[in-house]
Amino acid sequence: MADFASCLSLGMEPAGFVQGFAVMQWSWYSGYYRTAGGFGGMGGWTVPRGQGQYAEEWRCPHGFVGAEHRTYGFNAEQAWLEKSWAEGWGLAYRRMVEEAAEAGAHGVIGIVDDMHYLTGGQTAEFRISGTAVRGARRRAAPHPVHDAPVRATTDQAAGGGVCPGVGGRHPELGADDRLLHHPLPVGRHRGSVPATGCRAGSPGSTPSPRSTRHSGAARHLAREHIRQQIGTDSLHGATFEQFEHEVGEGDMAIQCLVKGTRVRQFKDFDPLPDADPVVRLT
Amino acid sequence: MTEMQQAMAALQGTGTTPHRGRGTTSDLSIDEILLLHSMGWEPVDLVFGVSWWSIPWGVWQWQTGEIAEASTAFAGAMDEASGLLREECARTGGSGVVGVEIGIRVSSHHIDLTLSGTAVRRVGDTKPSFEFISDLSARDFVLLTRAGWWPLGLAAGASFVVAPRRSARQWAAQKGQNVELPNLTEALYLAREKAMERMQQSGLGMQAEGVVDVKLREGPLGYNARVMQFVAVGTAVHLRDGAHRSVQPSMVVSLDDRVRQFDVKKLRSGGN
Repeated sequence: MADFASCLSLGMEPAGFVQGFAVMQWSWYSGYYRTAGGFGGMGGWTVPRGQGQYAEEWRCPHGFVGAEHRTYGFNAEQAWLEKSWAEGWGLAYRRMVEEAAEAGAHGVIGIVDDMHYLTGGQTAEFRISGTAVRGARRRAAPHPVHDAPVRATTDQAAGGGVCPGVGGRHPELGADDRLLHHPLPVGRHRGSVPATGCRAGSPGSTPSPRSTRHSGAARHLAREHIRQQIGTDSLHGATFEQFEHEVGEGDMAIQCLVKGTRVRQFKDFDPLPDADPVVRLT
Repeated sequence: MTEMQQAMAALQGTGTTPHRGRGTTSDLSIDEILLLHSMGWEPVDLVFGVSWWSIPWGVWQWQTGEIAEASTAFAGAMDEASGLLREECARTGGSGVVGVEIGIRVSSHHIDLTLSGTAVRRVGDTKPSFEFISDLSARDFVLLTRAGWWPLGLAAGASFVVAPRRSARQWAAQKGQNVELPNLTEALYLAREKAMERMQQSGLGMQAEGVVDVKLREGPLGYNARVMQFVAVGTAVHLRDGAHRSVQPSMVVSLDDRVRQFDVKKLRSGGN
Protein backbone atom coordinates (compact mmCIF):
# COMPACT_ATOMS: atom_id res chain seq x y z
CA MET A 1 0.00 0.00 0.00
CA ALA A 2 2.81 2.41 0.87
CA ASP A 3 4.34 1.88 -2.58
CA PHE A 4 1.00 2.42 -4.25
CA ALA A 5 0.28 5.62 -2.30
CA SER A 6 3.76 6.97 -3.00
CA CYS A 7 3.36 6.37 -6.70
CA LEU A 8 0.13 8.34 -6.76
CA SER A 9 1.60 11.18 -4.74
CA LEU A 10 4.40 11.40 -7.30
CA GLY A 11 1.92 11.73 -10.12
CA MET A 12 2.36 8.19 -11.40
CA GLU A 13 -0.23 5.47 -11.57
CA PRO A 14 0.15 1.73 -12.08
CA ALA A 15 -0.63 0.63 -15.62
CA GLY A 16 -0.22 -3.12 -15.34
CA PHE A 17 1.74 -6.02 -13.95
CA VAL A 18 4.19 -6.89 -16.71
CA GLN A 19 6.39 -9.92 -17.18
CA GLY A 20 8.97 -11.32 -19.55
CA PHE A 21 10.27 -14.86 -19.93
CA ALA A 22 12.94 -16.67 -21.91
CA VAL A 23 14.20 -20.25 -21.79
CA MET A 24 17.74 -20.85 -22.95
CA GLN A 25 19.77 -23.95 -23.51
CA TRP A 26 23.52 -24.11 -23.29
CA SER A 27 26.16 -26.71 -22.84
CA TRP A 28 28.45 -25.75 -20.04
CA TYR A 29 31.83 -26.95 -21.08
CA SER A 30 31.16 -29.40 -23.87
CA GLY A 31 34.16 -29.75 -26.07
CA TYR A 32 35.36 -26.31 -25.28
CA TYR A 33 38.77 -27.18 -24.06
CA ARG A 34 39.02 -30.64 -25.55
CA THR A 35 38.82 -29.41 -29.10
CA ALA A 36 41.39 -26.84 -28.21
CA GLY A 37 43.89 -29.30 -26.82
CA GLY A 38 42.02 -31.05 -24.06
CA PHE A 39 42.71 -31.79 -20.45
CA GLY A 40 45.56 -34.20 -20.34
CA GLY A 41 45.99 -34.17 -24.10
CA MET A 42 49.40 -34.45 -25.72
CA GLY A 43 49.58 -30.71 -26.13
CA GLY A 44 48.71 -30.00 -22.53
CA TRP A 45 46.01 -27.52 -21.63
CA THR A 46 45.09 -24.84 -24.04
CA VAL A 47 44.03 -21.68 -22.34
CA PRO A 48 41.14 -19.99 -24.16
CA ARG A 49 42.07 -16.47 -25.08
CA GLY A 50 39.51 -14.30 -26.83
CA GLN A 51 40.01 -10.69 -27.61
CA GLY A 52 40.12 -8.73 -24.37
CA GLN A 53 39.30 -11.88 -22.45
CA TYR A 54 40.83 -12.48 -19.04
CA ALA A 55 43.20 -15.47 -18.88
CA GLU A 56 46.16 -16.31 -16.69
CA GLU A 57 48.32 -19.41 -16.50
CA TRP A 58 50.89 -20.70 -14.08
CA ARG A 59 53.97 -22.74 -14.87
CA CYS A 60 54.99 -25.76 -12.84
CA PRO A 61 57.55 -24.76 -10.20
CA HIS A 62 59.41 -28.06 -10.74
CA GLY A 63 60.49 -27.15 -14.25
CA PHE A 64 59.78 -29.27 -17.30
CA VAL A 65 58.33 -32.66 -16.37
CA GLY A 66 55.92 -33.19 -19.24
CA ALA A 67 53.77 -31.20 -21.60
CA GLU A 68 50.71 -31.58 -19.43
CA HIS A 69 52.63 -30.96 -16.26
CA ARG A 70 54.19 -27.78 -17.48
CA THR A 71 51.10 -25.60 -17.49
CA TYR A 72 49.63 -26.84 -14.27
CA GLY A 73 47.01 -24.19 -13.74
CA PHE A 74 45.11 -21.48 -15.46
CA ASN A 75 42.22 -19.12 -14.92
CA ALA A 76 40.10 -18.19 -17.89
CA GLU A 77 37.00 -16.14 -18.51
CA GLN A 78 34.14 -17.95 -20.24
CA ALA A 79 33.05 -15.14 -22.52
CA TRP A 80 30.81 -17.38 -24.62
CA LEU A 81 28.75 -18.29 -21.57
CA GLU A 82 28.54 -14.66 -20.47
CA LYS A 83 27.14 -13.85 -23.87
CA SER A 84 24.49 -16.59 -23.68
CA TRP A 85 23.47 -15.51 -20.22
CA ALA A 86 23.14 -11.87 -21.29
CA GLU A 87 21.09 -12.95 -24.28
CA GLY A 88 18.64 -14.90 -22.13
CA TRP A 89 18.22 -12.11 -19.63
CA GLY A 90 17.99 -9.52 -22.40
CA LEU A 91 15.22 -11.43 -24.17
CA ALA A 92 13.11 -11.66 -21.02
CA TYR A 93 13.75 -8.02 -20.27
CA ARG A 94 12.79 -6.82 -23.73
CA ARG A 95 9.58 -8.85 -23.62
CA MET A 96 8.63 -7.24 -20.32
CA VAL A 97 9.36 -3.77 -21.73
CA GLU A 98 7.23 -4.53 -24.81
CA GLU A 99 4.38 -5.53 -22.55
CA ALA A 100 4.77 -2.28 -20.62
CA ALA A 101 4.76 -0.30 -23.87
CA GLU A 102 1.51 -1.95 -24.87
CA ALA A 103 0.06 -0.83 -21.56
CA GLY A 104 1.01 2.77 -22.31
CA ALA A 105 3.50 2.96 -19.50
CA HIS A 106 6.37 5.39 -19.04
CA GLY A 107 8.40 2.96 -17.03
CA VAL A 108 8.52 -0.19 -14.93
CA ILE A 109 9.22 -0.18 -11.20
CA GLY A 110 9.69 -2.80 -8.53
CA ILE A 111 11.38 -5.18 -10.91
CA VAL A 112 12.09 -8.66 -9.66
CA ASP A 113 14.13 -11.05 -11.76
CA ASP A 114 15.11 -14.64 -11.36
CA MET A 115 16.87 -17.42 -13.21
CA HIS A 116 16.60 -21.11 -12.47
CA TYR A 117 17.50 -24.35 -14.19
CA LEU A 118 14.76 -26.49 -15.64
CA THR A 119 16.62 -29.68 -16.41
CA GLY A 120 19.98 -30.18 -14.83
CA GLY A 121 22.36 -27.45 -15.80
CA GLN A 122 21.50 -27.39 -19.47
CA THR A 123 18.29 -25.39 -19.67
CA ALA A 124 17.68 -22.15 -17.86
CA GLU A 125 14.55 -20.06 -17.49
CA PHE A 126 14.81 -16.30 -17.08
CA ARG A 127 11.87 -14.37 -15.73
CA ILE A 128 11.43 -10.71 -15.01
CA SER A 129 8.37 -8.94 -13.68
CA GLY A 130 7.46 -5.51 -12.44
CA THR A 131 4.75 -2.92 -12.31
CA ALA A 132 4.37 -0.70 -15.34
CA VAL A 133 3.60 2.89 -14.38
CA ARG A 134 2.61 5.97 -16.29
CA GLY A 135 2.27 9.64 -15.53
CA ALA A 136 -1.28 10.12 -14.35
CA ARG A 137 -1.61 13.80 -15.08
CA ARG A 138 -0.47 14.07 -18.64
CA ARG A 139 -0.24 12.23 -21.91
CA ALA A 140 2.70 9.97 -22.36
CA ALA A 141 5.74 11.68 -23.86
CA PRO A 142 7.87 9.84 -26.45
CA HIS A 143 9.83 7.17 -24.68
CA PRO A 144 10.62 3.55 -25.39
CA VAL A 145 8.16 2.40 -22.75
CA HIS A 146 4.79 4.00 -23.49
CA ASP A 147 2.37 5.17 -26.17
CA ALA A 148 -0.61 2.89 -25.83
CA PRO A 149 -3.84 3.05 -23.87
CA VAL A 150 -3.94 1.55 -20.40
CA ARG A 151 -4.73 -2.11 -20.64
CA ALA A 152 -4.95 -3.12 -17.01
CA THR A 153 -4.36 -1.63 -13.63
CA THR A 154 -2.79 -3.25 -10.64
CA ASP A 155 -1.69 -2.15 -7.23
CA GLN A 156 1.11 -4.65 -7.10
CA ALA A 157 4.58 -3.23 -6.74
CA ALA A 158 6.78 -6.26 -6.95
CA GLY A 159 9.94 -5.89 -4.97
CA GLY A 160 8.61 -2.85 -3.17
CA GLY A 161 10.70 -0.25 -1.51
CA VAL A 162 11.21 1.91 -4.55
CA CYS A 163 8.45 4.44 -4.33
CA PRO A 164 8.63 5.31 -0.62
CA GLY A 165 12.17 6.55 -1.07
CA VAL A 166 11.05 8.80 -3.86
CA GLY A 167 8.04 10.38 -2.31
CA GLY A 168 9.19 13.95 -2.31
CA ARG A 169 11.60 13.75 0.56
CA HIS A 170 14.65 13.75 -1.67
CA PRO A 171 13.74 15.10 -5.08
CA GLU A 172 17.32 16.07 -5.81
CA LEU A 173 18.28 12.88 -7.56
CA GLY A 174 15.30 12.91 -9.85
CA ALA A 175 12.54 10.50 -9.11
CA ASP A 176 12.04 9.57 -12.73
CA ASP A 177 15.53 8.27 -13.02
CA ARG A 178 14.84 5.65 -10.50
CA LEU A 179 11.34 4.94 -11.67
CA LEU A 180 12.07 4.61 -15.33
CA HIS A 181 15.39 2.92 -15.35
CA HIS A 182 15.86 -0.69 -14.70
CA PRO A 183 18.11 -3.19 -13.03
CA LEU A 184 20.88 -4.36 -15.27
CA PRO A 185 22.28 -7.79 -14.99
CA VAL A 186 25.60 -7.16 -16.33
CA GLY A 187 28.57 -9.18 -15.55
CA ARG A 188 29.09 -12.82 -15.47
CA HIS A 189 32.33 -14.64 -15.34
CA ARG A 190 33.36 -18.18 -15.53
CA GLY A 191 36.84 -19.14 -14.74
CA SER A 192 38.59 -22.40 -14.32
CA VAL A 193 41.11 -23.09 -11.64
CA PRO A 194 42.54 -26.60 -11.63
CA ALA A 195 42.96 -27.45 -7.98
CA THR A 196 44.99 -30.52 -8.77
CA GLY A 197 48.49 -30.65 -10.13
CA CYS A 198 51.82 -30.31 -8.44
CA ARG A 199 52.40 -28.01 -5.55
CA ALA A 200 55.57 -26.41 -4.39
CA GLY A 201 54.92 -28.09 -1.07
CA SER A 202 54.53 -26.11 2.12
CA PRO A 203 53.94 -27.50 5.60
CA GLY A 204 51.96 -24.55 7.01
CA SER A 205 49.10 -22.31 5.98
CA THR A 206 49.94 -20.47 2.80
CA PRO A 207 48.26 -17.96 0.53
CA SER A 208 46.65 -19.40 -2.61
CA PRO A 209 47.37 -16.76 -5.25
CA ARG A 210 45.65 -18.62 -8.09
CA SER A 211 42.39 -18.95 -6.19
CA THR A 212 42.67 -15.42 -4.86
CA ARG A 213 43.12 -14.00 -8.34
CA HIS A 214 40.44 -16.24 -9.79
CA SER A 215 37.81 -15.22 -7.27
CA GLY A 216 38.82 -11.58 -7.41
CA ALA A 217 38.83 -11.57 -11.21
CA ALA A 218 35.21 -12.74 -11.35
CA ARG A 219 34.07 -9.73 -9.34
CA HIS A 220 36.29 -7.28 -11.15
CA LEU A 221 35.17 -8.49 -14.57
CA ALA A 222 31.53 -8.28 -13.58
CA ARG A 223 32.04 -4.73 -12.37
CA GLU A 224 33.86 -3.75 -15.56
CA HIS A 225 31.10 -5.23 -17.71
CA ILE A 226 28.69 -3.04 -15.79
CA ARG A 227 30.86 -0.03 -16.40
CA GLN A 228 30.84 -0.64 -20.13
CA GLN A 229 27.05 -0.64 -20.10
CA ILE A 230 26.33 2.39 -17.96
CA GLY A 231 28.80 4.84 -19.50
CA THR A 232 28.54 8.07 -17.55
CA ASP A 233 25.45 6.97 -15.64
CA SER A 234 25.72 5.43 -12.19
CA LEU A 235 24.69 2.12 -10.77
CA HIS A 236 23.39 2.07 -7.22
CA GLY A 237 21.96 -0.54 -4.91
CA ALA A 238 24.17 -3.13 -6.55
CA THR A 239 24.01 -6.68 -5.30
CA PHE A 240 26.57 -9.40 -5.89
CA GLU A 241 25.82 -13.05 -6.20
CA GLN A 242 28.72 -15.40 -6.50
CA PHE A 243 28.34 -19.10 -7.19
CA GLU A 244 31.06 -21.67 -7.28
CA HIS A 245 30.95 -25.25 -8.30
CA GLU A 246 33.30 -28.06 -9.15
CA VAL A 247 33.22 -28.99 -12.80
CA GLY A 248 35.29 -32.14 -12.66
CA GLU A 249 38.98 -32.98 -12.75
CA GLY A 250 39.55 -30.60 -9.86
CA ASP A 251 38.37 -27.58 -11.80
CA MET A 252 36.20 -24.94 -10.26
CA ALA A 253 33.92 -22.49 -12.00
CA ILE A 254 33.09 -19.18 -10.39
CA GLN A 255 30.12 -17.21 -11.56
CA CYS A 256 29.57 -13.65 -10.42
CA LEU A 257 26.37 -11.78 -11.10
CA VAL A 258 25.96 -8.07 -10.39
CA LYS A 259 22.66 -6.28 -10.51
CA GLY A 260 21.57 -2.81 -9.55
CA THR A 261 19.60 0.22 -10.64
CA ARG A 262 21.05 2.46 -13.30
CA VAL A 263 20.61 6.08 -12.32
CA ARG A 264 21.07 9.18 -14.45
CA GLN A 265 21.61 12.50 -12.75
CA PHE A 266 19.69 15.29 -14.48
CA LYS A 267 20.66 18.18 -12.23
CA ASP A 268 23.22 19.02 -9.59
CA PHE A 269 22.59 18.11 -6.00
CA ASP A 270 20.72 20.75 -4.09
CA PRO A 271 22.11 21.40 -0.62
CA LEU A 272 20.76 18.75 1.69
CA PRO A 273 19.94 19.43 5.31
CA ASP A 274 21.31 17.18 8.03
CA ALA A 275 19.06 14.21 8.50
CA ASP A 276 17.21 14.01 11.80
CA PRO A 277 18.00 10.85 13.73
CA VAL A 278 14.84 9.08 14.82
CA VAL A 279 13.94 6.16 17.01
CA ARG A 280 11.05 4.16 15.68
CA LEU A 281 8.65 3.14 18.43
CA THR A 282 7.57 -0.22 17.08
CA MET B 1 9.80 22.67 -16.93
CA THR B 2 9.05 20.51 -13.89
CA GLU B 3 11.66 18.21 -12.39
CA MET B 4 9.71 15.24 -13.69
CA GLN B 5 9.92 16.62 -17.23
CA GLN B 6 13.60 17.41 -16.78
CA ALA B 7 14.22 13.84 -15.68
CA MET B 8 12.27 12.43 -18.61
CA ALA B 9 14.21 14.59 -21.03
CA ALA B 10 17.50 13.44 -19.50
CA LEU B 11 16.48 9.81 -19.92
CA GLN B 12 15.59 10.35 -23.55
CA GLY B 13 18.86 12.16 -24.18
CA THR B 14 17.17 15.41 -25.13
CA GLY B 15 17.73 17.21 -21.84
CA THR B 16 20.81 18.47 -20.10
CA THR B 17 22.76 16.49 -17.56
CA PRO B 18 25.40 17.80 -15.18
CA HIS B 19 28.86 17.23 -16.57
CA ARG B 20 30.07 13.93 -15.20
CA GLY B 21 33.08 11.85 -15.96
CA ARG B 22 33.03 8.18 -15.15
CA GLY B 23 29.81 6.85 -13.66
CA THR B 24 29.86 5.64 -10.09
CA THR B 25 28.85 2.24 -8.84
CA SER B 26 27.75 1.42 -5.34
CA ASP B 27 25.82 -1.07 -3.29
CA LEU B 28 24.24 1.73 -1.27
CA SER B 29 20.54 2.50 -1.31
CA ILE B 30 19.40 5.86 -2.67
CA ASP B 31 18.59 6.98 0.88
CA GLU B 32 22.12 6.17 1.97
CA ILE B 33 23.63 8.11 -0.94
CA LEU B 34 21.55 11.17 -0.06
CA LEU B 35 22.52 10.79 3.58
CA LEU B 36 26.20 10.73 2.64
CA HIS B 37 25.71 13.82 0.47
CA SER B 38 24.07 15.63 3.36
CA MET B 39 27.32 15.36 5.28
CA GLY B 40 29.53 16.17 2.29
CA TRP B 41 30.50 12.66 1.16
CA GLU B 42 29.81 10.78 -2.07
CA PRO B 43 30.18 7.21 -3.31
CA VAL B 44 32.93 6.49 -5.80
CA ASP B 45 33.02 2.84 -6.74
CA LEU B 46 32.40 -0.72 -5.68
CA VAL B 47 35.58 -2.24 -4.36
CA PHE B 48 36.61 -5.77 -3.45
CA GLY B 49 39.28 -7.65 -1.62
CA VAL B 50 39.47 -11.40 -1.91
CA SER B 51 41.95 -13.81 -0.39
CA TRP B 52 42.29 -17.57 -0.28
CA TRP B 53 44.67 -19.31 2.08
CA SER B 54 45.34 -23.01 2.08
CA ILE B 55 45.32 -25.18 5.19
CA PRO B 56 47.55 -28.28 5.23
CA TRP B 57 45.91 -31.66 4.94
CA GLY B 58 45.10 -33.55 8.10
CA VAL B 59 45.29 -30.73 10.63
CA TRP B 60 41.68 -31.20 11.65
CA GLN B 61 41.99 -34.95 12.16
CA TRP B 62 45.18 -35.57 14.07
CA GLN B 63 45.24 -33.05 16.86
CA THR B 64 43.06 -31.51 19.53
CA GLY B 65 43.05 -28.00 20.91
CA GLU B 66 43.44 -24.93 18.77
CA ILE B 67 44.28 -25.53 15.11
CA ALA B 68 46.95 -22.89 14.76
CA GLU B 69 47.22 -23.42 10.99
CA ALA B 70 43.56 -22.50 10.49
CA SER B 71 43.72 -19.48 12.79
CA THR B 72 46.87 -18.30 11.00
CA ALA B 73 45.22 -18.82 7.62
CA PHE B 74 42.25 -16.69 8.71
CA ALA B 75 44.49 -13.89 9.95
CA GLY B 76 46.55 -14.02 6.75
CA ALA B 77 43.48 -14.00 4.54
CA MET B 78 41.99 -11.09 6.46
CA ASP B 79 45.19 -9.08 6.16
CA GLU B 80 45.53 -9.79 2.47
CA ALA B 81 41.88 -9.07 1.63
CA SER B 82 41.94 -5.83 3.66
CA GLY B 83 45.13 -4.80 1.91
CA LEU B 84 43.62 -5.45 -1.52
CA LEU B 85 40.47 -3.55 -0.59
CA ARG B 86 42.55 -0.65 0.60
CA GLU B 87 44.65 -0.62 -2.59
CA GLU B 88 41.57 -0.69 -4.75
CA CYS B 89 39.92 2.08 -2.76
CA ALA B 90 42.98 4.28 -3.21
CA ARG B 91 43.13 3.42 -6.92
CA THR B 92 39.52 4.47 -7.52
CA GLY B 93 40.01 7.75 -5.68
CA GLY B 94 38.19 6.90 -2.47
CA SER B 95 39.29 7.78 1.02
CA GLY B 96 37.33 5.11 2.85
CA VAL B 97 35.10 2.08 2.37
CA VAL B 98 31.69 1.79 4.03
CA GLY B 99 29.23 -1.06 4.28
CA VAL B 100 31.86 -3.74 3.87
CA GLU B 101 30.25 -7.14 3.59
CA ILE B 102 32.38 -9.95 4.87
CA GLY B 103 32.11 -13.40 3.36
CA ILE B 104 33.97 -16.13 5.19
CA ARG B 105 34.16 -19.73 4.11
CA VAL B 106 36.09 -22.34 6.00
CA SER B 107 36.59 -25.70 4.38
CA SER B 108 38.83 -28.61 5.21
CA HIS B 109 41.76 -27.42 3.15
CA HIS B 110 41.28 -23.72 2.63
CA ILE B 111 39.81 -20.52 4.03
CA ASP B 112 38.53 -17.89 1.68
CA LEU B 113 37.52 -14.43 2.63
CA THR B 114 35.72 -11.84 0.55
CA LEU B 115 35.32 -8.18 1.43
CA SER B 116 33.15 -5.95 -0.71
CA GLY B 117 31.93 -2.42 -0.09
CA THR B 118 31.57 1.05 -1.52
CA ALA B 119 34.50 3.44 -1.65
CA VAL B 120 33.52 6.94 -0.57
CA ARG B 121 35.20 10.33 -0.43
CA ARG B 122 34.45 13.94 0.45
CA VAL B 123 32.61 15.66 -2.38
CA GLY B 124 35.05 17.20 -4.81
CA ASP B 125 38.13 15.76 -3.10
CA THR B 126 40.32 14.89 -6.07
CA LYS B 127 43.36 13.65 -4.14
CA PRO B 128 42.01 11.92 -1.06
CA SER B 129 44.23 10.03 1.33
CA PHE B 130 43.09 6.66 2.57
CA GLU B 131 41.37 6.83 5.96
CA PHE B 132 39.31 3.78 6.88
CA ILE B 133 37.57 0.52 6.10
CA SER B 134 34.33 -0.14 7.92
CA ASP B 135 31.58 -2.70 7.93
CA LEU B 136 29.18 -0.06 9.24
CA SER B 137 26.35 0.84 6.88
CA ALA B 138 26.32 4.36 5.46
CA ARG B 139 23.60 5.19 7.99
CA ASP B 140 25.70 4.02 10.91
CA PHE B 141 28.75 5.76 9.48
CA VAL B 142 26.89 9.07 9.44
CA LEU B 143 25.57 8.50 12.95
CA LEU B 144 29.02 7.55 14.25
CA THR B 145 30.73 10.60 12.81
CA ARG B 146 28.01 12.92 14.05
CA ALA B 147 28.61 11.57 17.54
CA GLY B 148 32.28 12.55 17.26
CA TRP B 149 33.76 9.12 16.50
CA TRP B 150 35.62 7.93 13.45
CA PRO B 151 36.08 4.44 11.98
CA LEU B 152 39.64 3.20 11.58
CA GLY B 153 39.48 -0.26 10.09
CA LEU B 154 38.21 -3.79 10.45
CA ALA B 155 39.25 -5.53 13.65
CA ALA B 156 39.01 -9.29 13.40
CA GLY B 157 39.94 -12.40 15.34
CA ALA B 158 39.27 -16.08 14.79
CA SER B 159 40.05 -19.34 16.45
CA PHE B 160 39.32 -22.93 15.51
CA VAL B 161 39.47 -25.57 18.22
CA VAL B 162 39.09 -29.34 17.95
CA ALA B 163 37.40 -30.79 21.03
CA PRO B 164 38.89 -34.02 22.40
CA ARG B 165 36.80 -37.18 22.11
CA ARG B 166 35.21 -38.59 25.21
CA SER B 167 36.70 -41.77 26.55
CA ALA B 168 34.75 -44.98 26.07
CA ARG B 169 34.04 -45.02 29.81
CA GLN B 170 32.68 -41.47 29.72
CA TRP B 171 30.61 -42.23 26.67
CA ALA B 172 29.10 -45.29 28.30
CA ALA B 173 28.44 -43.48 31.58
CA GLN B 174 26.73 -40.56 29.88
CA LYS B 175 24.73 -42.57 27.43
CA GLY B 176 21.01 -42.06 27.98
CA GLN B 177 21.52 -39.08 30.30
CA ASN B 178 20.87 -35.39 29.91
CA VAL B 179 24.28 -33.97 30.73
CA GLU B 180 26.56 -31.22 29.59
CA LEU B 181 29.35 -32.21 27.23
CA PRO B 182 32.24 -30.31 28.81
CA ASN B 183 34.70 -31.17 26.04
CA LEU B 184 32.59 -29.23 23.52
CA THR B 185 31.74 -26.40 25.95
CA GLU B 186 35.41 -25.95 26.80
CA ALA B 187 36.39 -26.02 23.14
CA LEU B 188 33.87 -23.26 22.41
CA TYR B 189 35.12 -21.18 25.34
CA LEU B 190 38.73 -21.62 24.29
CA ALA B 191 37.90 -20.53 20.75
CA ARG B 192 35.98 -17.56 22.06
CA GLU B 193 38.78 -16.38 24.36
CA LYS B 194 41.37 -16.57 21.60
CA ALA B 195 39.19 -14.92 18.94
CA MET B 196 38.06 -12.03 21.14
CA GLU B 197 41.59 -11.45 22.34
CA ARG B 198 42.84 -11.31 18.75
CA MET B 199 40.10 -8.91 17.73
CA GLN B 200 40.95 -6.64 20.66
CA GLN B 201 44.65 -6.79 19.78
CA SER B 202 43.78 -5.94 16.21
CA GLY B 203 41.84 -2.87 17.42
CA LEU B 204 44.62 -1.79 19.76
CA GLY B 205 47.06 -2.07 16.87
CA MET B 206 45.01 0.61 15.08
CA GLN B 207 45.02 2.89 18.16
CA ALA B 208 41.28 2.31 18.51
CA GLU B 209 39.26 3.10 21.59
CA GLY B 210 36.66 0.49 20.86
CA VAL B 211 35.24 -1.97 18.38
CA VAL B 212 31.59 -1.53 17.36
CA ASP B 213 29.04 -3.52 15.42
CA VAL B 214 30.87 -6.75 16.17
CA LYS B 215 29.50 -9.71 14.28
CA LEU B 216 30.06 -13.18 15.68
CA ARG B 217 30.10 -16.50 13.98
CA GLU B 218 30.38 -19.39 16.37
CA GLY B 219 29.58 -23.06 16.67
CA PRO B 220 30.63 -26.28 15.04
CA LEU B 221 32.00 -26.34 11.54
CA GLY B 222 29.57 -27.98 9.17
CA TYR B 223 31.65 -30.97 8.27
CA ASN B 224 33.03 -31.79 11.72
CA ALA B 225 30.93 -31.37 14.85
CA ARG B 226 34.03 -31.57 17.07
CA VAL B 227 35.60 -28.48 15.49
CA MET B 228 34.42 -25.32 17.19
CA GLN B 229 34.88 -22.05 15.37
CA PHE B 230 34.63 -18.55 16.74
CA VAL B 231 35.05 -15.57 14.43
CA ALA B 232 34.59 -11.97 15.57
CA VAL B 233 34.73 -9.00 13.18
CA GLY B 234 33.85 -5.38 13.85
CA THR B 235 34.83 -1.80 13.12
CA ALA B 236 37.57 -0.26 15.24
CA VAL B 237 36.62 3.31 16.18
CA HIS B 238 38.44 6.30 17.54
CA LEU B 239 37.07 9.32 19.41
CA ARG B 240 38.11 12.10 17.11
CA ASP B 241 36.69 15.26 18.56
CA GLY B 242 37.88 14.81 22.13
CA ALA B 243 34.48 14.05 23.58
CA HIS B 244 31.40 12.12 22.64
CA ARG B 245 28.63 14.29 21.23
CA SER B 246 25.18 13.17 22.26
CA VAL B 247 22.74 12.67 19.45
CA GLN B 248 19.19 13.58 20.40
CA PRO B 249 16.91 11.37 18.35
CA SER B 250 13.25 12.19 17.76
CA MET B 251 10.71 9.56 18.63
CA VAL B 252 8.44 8.45 15.80
CA VAL B 253 5.55 6.02 15.72
CA SER B 254 5.22 4.08 12.48
CA LEU B 255 1.77 4.08 10.97
CA ASP B 256 2.44 1.24 8.58
CA ASP B 257 2.85 -1.63 11.04
CA ARG B 258 1.67 -5.01 9.97
CA VAL B 259 -1.94 -5.43 11.12
CA ARG B 260 -2.29 -8.15 13.71
CA GLN B 261 -4.47 -10.92 12.40
CA PHE B 262 -6.42 -13.41 14.46
CA ASP B 263 -7.72 -16.81 13.63
CA VAL B 264 -11.54 -16.80 13.52
CA LYS B 265 -11.69 -20.55 14.01
CA LYS B 266 -10.04 -20.18 17.40
CA LEU B 267 -12.88 -17.91 18.57
CA ARG B 268 -15.43 -20.52 17.54
CA SER B 269 -13.66 -23.28 19.42
CA GLY B 270 -13.26 -21.26 22.60
CA GLY B 271 -9.67 -20.30 21.92
CA ASN B 272 -8.32 -23.85 21.98
